[in-house]
Amino acid sequence: MLMLGYLVRRLAMTIPTLLLVAIAVFALVRLIPGDPVQVMLGDSADPAQVDALRRQMGLDQSIPVQFGYWLAKVAVGDFGHSITNGLAVLPLILERFQVSAIIVLVAVTIAACVAVPAGLIAAWRQNKAADLAITAGATLLLSIPSFWLGLLLLLLFGLKLKWLPVIGYVPFSENFGQAITFIILPIATLAMIEIGALTRMSRASSIEVLRLEYVTHARAKGAPEWRVLARHVLPNAFAPTWTLIGLVLGHLLGGIAVIETVFTLPGLGRLLVDSIFARDYPVVQGCLLFTAVIYVVVNLVVDLCYPLFDPRVAAE
Amino acid sequence: MKMRANTAIGGLLIGVLFATAATAAFWTPFDPLKVNLRARLQPPSALYWLGTDEFGRDMLSRIMAGAATSVLVSVLTVTFAVMIGAVIGVLTGYLRGWTDRVIMAANDALLAFPGILLALAVMIVTGANKFGIVLALGIAYIPSVVRVVRGTVLSIREKEYIEASRVIGNSELYSMARHVLPNSLAPVAVLATSMFGWVLLAESALSFLGLGVPPPAPTWGNLLAASRPYMESAAWLSIAPGLCIALTLLGINLLGDSLRDRLDPRMVQG
Amino acid sequence: MRSNRGIAAFTTLAMSAGLALSLTCVAAVPALAAGGVLRARFNADIRSTDPGTNRDANTDGVMGHVVEGLVAFREDTSIGPMLAESWDTSEDGKTYTFHLRAGVKFHNGSIMTADDVVWSFKRWLDPATQWRCLSEFSDSGITKIIGVEATDPRTVVIRLERATALFLGTLARPDCGQTAILHRDSVGPDGKWNVPIATGPFKLGEWKRGQYVDLIRFDDYASRTEPRDGYTGAKKVEVDKVRINIIPDSSAAKAGLLSGSLDIINSLSIPELEELKTHADVKLSVTPALGLTGILLQSNDPLLKDVRIRRALALSLDTKEIADVVMQGTASANNSALPIGSPFHGAVEDQGYTQDIAQAKKLLIEAGYKGQPIKMIANKRYSFVFDSAVLVQAMAQAVGLKIDIEVLDWATQLDRYSKGDYQAMAFVYSARLDPSLSFEMLTGPKATQPRKVWDNPEAQEMLRQSMLTIDTAKRQALFDDMHRRFIADVPMIVLFNGSELAALRNNVKGYAGWLYPEPRFWGVSLQ
Repeated sequence: MLMLGYLVRRLAMTIPTLLLVAIAVFALVRLIPGDPVQVMLGDSADPAQVDALRRQMGLDQSIPVQFGYWLAKVAVGDFGHSITNGLAVLPLILERFQVSAIIVLVAVTIAACVAVPAGLIAAWRQNKAADLAITAGATLLLSIPSFWLGLLLLLLFGLKLKWLPVIGYVPFSENFGQAITFIILPIATLAMIEIGALTRMSRASSIEVLRLEYVTHARAKGAPEWRVLARHVLPNAFAPTWTLIGLVLGHLLGGIAVIETVFTLPGLGRLLVDSIFARDYPVVQGCLLFTAVIYVVVNLVVDLCYPLFDPRVAAE
Repeated sequence: MKMRANTAIGGLLIGVLFATAATAAFWTPFDPLKVNLRARLQPPSALYWLGTDEFGRDMLSRIMAGAATSVLVSVLTVTFAVMIGAVIGVLTGYLRGWTDRVIMAANDALLAFPGILLALAVMIVTGANKFGIVLALGIAYIPSVVRVVRGTVLSIREKEYIEASRVIGNSELYSMARHVLPNSLAPVAVLATSMFGWVLLAESALSFLGLGVPPPAPTWGNLLAASRPYMESAAWLSIAPGLCIALTLLGINLLGDSLRDRLDPRMVQG
Repeated sequence: MRSNRGIAAFTTLAMSAGLALSLTCVAAVPALAAGGVLRARFNADIRSTDPGTNRDANTDGVMGHVVEGLVAFREDTSIGPMLAESWDTSEDGKTYTFHLRAGVKFHNGSIMTADDVVWSFKRWLDPATQWRCLSEFSDSGITKIIGVEATDPRTVVIRLERATALFLGTLARPDCGQTAILHRDSVGPDGKWNVPIATGPFKLGEWKRGQYVDLIRFDDYASRTEPRDGYTGAKKVEVDKVRINIIPDSSAAKAGLLSGSLDIINSLSIPELEELKTHADVKLSVTPALGLTGILLQSNDPLLKDVRIRRALALSLDTKEIADVVMQGTASANNSALPIGSPFHGAVEDQGYTQDIAQAKKLLIEAGYKGQPIKMIANKRYSFVFDSAVLVQAMAQAVGLKIDIEVLDWATQLDRYSKGDYQAMAFVYSARLDPSLSFEMLTGPKATQPRKVWDNPEAQEMLRQSMLTIDTAKRQALFDDMHRRFIADVPMIVLFNGSELAALRNNVKGYAGWLYPEPRFWGVSLQ
């Protein structure tokens, strides 16, 4: 019952968050100088043409009026149409999101599976050779710019060894085997970068937990070391790492644009960046709102699961 | 014992970085902006230790000048984000209730906002310069700090010594200042060191997408981004800034770790 | 299917002249094609399949393979016949009579007639179509089309309100969709655009948004017999299909070419060209282009309104060296508004600025310049624009001019350009195919058209004259005069025209770039 009430309250709280996001997105997008019509028509644009097109797209209305129209439509699930190619925004976003979501989810899962145990081992062997090796490895991974790593992998596996295709993307629904060959490198790049961050977080929180009294207790009671680690340290050390995973998931949707650019993947991040450069307002607004919703949902789930991992913070 | 080595190596790397940045403010082997069309894309030599770029500008000088800019941008951004984020995080985590809810809603809204658009928008409003990027990335990182600090505060405030502090009649404010802040320092230190790295990386990623600190003034990020077309034919252009970023991060992280161990109050008390 | 269409075509043709019959025979025999799929690359997706309306340069480039108009640009930017066999012009220049080629088939198999031409023009001129070039045929444009009539199945008469040198050139403009002749089934019953059913050598295949556009060989294509010439001449398709992959990242595209997953990439940047030179399995194609890269100087600016300072900047530059370094020897310097490739670019246009440091310094002293910084906007979207800005900054420094470069994203720069809101700006103008248009993009009253960089009433009058007269010698004299004034006023410093760079794998034969910066995939084969 307590849990349910919490859930309802949390859900209710997301509404003002999303409304704030919607207003901020709309205002910010319009604050950026430049105009979609101008970008479309380029240097040969003639002002009469620009005005006509602006009128036709409703861009000549005042910003609050445009916002009202947009919000009313979004409320019923209509995100409008792209200015540059006339496509409906929501299906476009969903199509691109699939690509990004697969890569991000797989990469973060792999990263967590590697990083959490690695961090634990490093903490357990704190200041010993294993710790130094793991910390050094994690730090190194953390230090490499993602696009740089991506390009190096592309050069190595695509160009020098020719094991993997260099460009393009095939959806899983079309050809499963081929699809995998196209997303291995982006996933590997992303996972390696994230392993760096997550290992360090996991190590830090494991050290924290290892010092707690109940761990000393458990050890004093004569429990074998692996049991202490698995039963007492791992679940507790996972809590802060879990929060970070939530953060990572959210940020990746924005940050993945770089990876998508390097590997030419038609994902959400690239759609967003391309649309910003083209000042394609409906798509930018749609992408940002969509990302915000995903982010809020992910964090809701993270928060709801937090008590499961950290018994010390009970649901209020 | 090993911690000392960490501190030493980290300290050395960061010391070299700051020394380089400071030197670059007064002296570089060549003018980092001086174009020399007769010496384009020269490989490293006795004259040009790190080679020259596509305009014949000395890479060593550009790396040095870049260090100054990159350090400044990173330090300012992290300081900005941590100071504001930590205060908000401690307040919300400790006070809870409506304050917490309202602030966290705003925080979530900000977190839900991809940093790229924020960076672009802020930089266009402030003009494309290094303070624009400090503001943009700083605002983008505040929510992360708030979240981590609040999470730590939530788990710490239930601990016995806080209870004890309250029981013996200390005010909320005193308990907070005396116990919560120092106890949140460790995770914030870890976060701040990571953030220093994130800022360096974010700046290079933004440069890569065409939104970073604008050239021709060098930063490691835009040096790396500019070297991209020459990756095959002039590898030195990308190796040097890439290595600088990696070494700096290594130093920062090593130093951050030993710092964390020192700041940990239980270590001190124990 | 094909045999049915053949019979239908034959019966229609049997009623036409013998000449037409022989022409169809040429068309009916499919080219002896080696076949295969040519894998090309564009840096961004097309906007639509609706030419001349919702379009950009990439859209024009793709649609240039699918649609054709009555006339088209030749290699040297003159106008040649395309779907028209020939045309007559009345003495007053106000009536054009187009004689159509016989036996030209649409992609759906039906034969193109004068009725299709009339229908197409009606559609273009309907405001609901939102034709990009409709404004050219309005009161403020070059002329008005007052009548389009089919006098017989192969003759169309177009009447204009007033004569203009730009009529055919405007019809042929790729961004106007080449004023394509389309089959009426291209639009749905509601008049909404559906799919291009046109006469080009390729049919539009699958368009997977954000990923690729396919061009399928049109087997019944009625090719002209002259050699390939710009957007006209023979268009023999030697592959089964062209897949245009959408790859925004140029490093990825380059990697794709080297690994063999692409056959041809065009619009290369200079550093990429340099790198690709070292690979043996790749060859390069370098063609002069029509774009115009230069430094715009705002004559409304308190500092730059002094022509001596603008001139000092021009004299501080070694434009030849800038062109050499930025374009790595693929393009020559040019200080004229008319591209080097233009037939109107002659000895007069070759007279530009010569570097003169002493004179530049003297001018600055006369103007009382005291080291005030000049802010120059540039962008990184076009690397040659940014590179030019860096070199101009360096050379200007040598005479004591202090320039700060401000890098903006392209949309922001365009916004500042169109508002005239800048001191100096490194900028690139897209290709203009007519000399009048080359000057038109520069000159105009700033009060009403803030985007114009050159506000000189005399030049504007000469420009107007050049649009009205069809006499080439008269036009040349006007352009020469305008060039001299342009150099004297220094409203902008033109640096070079750039070049169109493509890289192909060695097994790709027959590719050739041309002045217009879009690739042509006819005449290209795989071996």
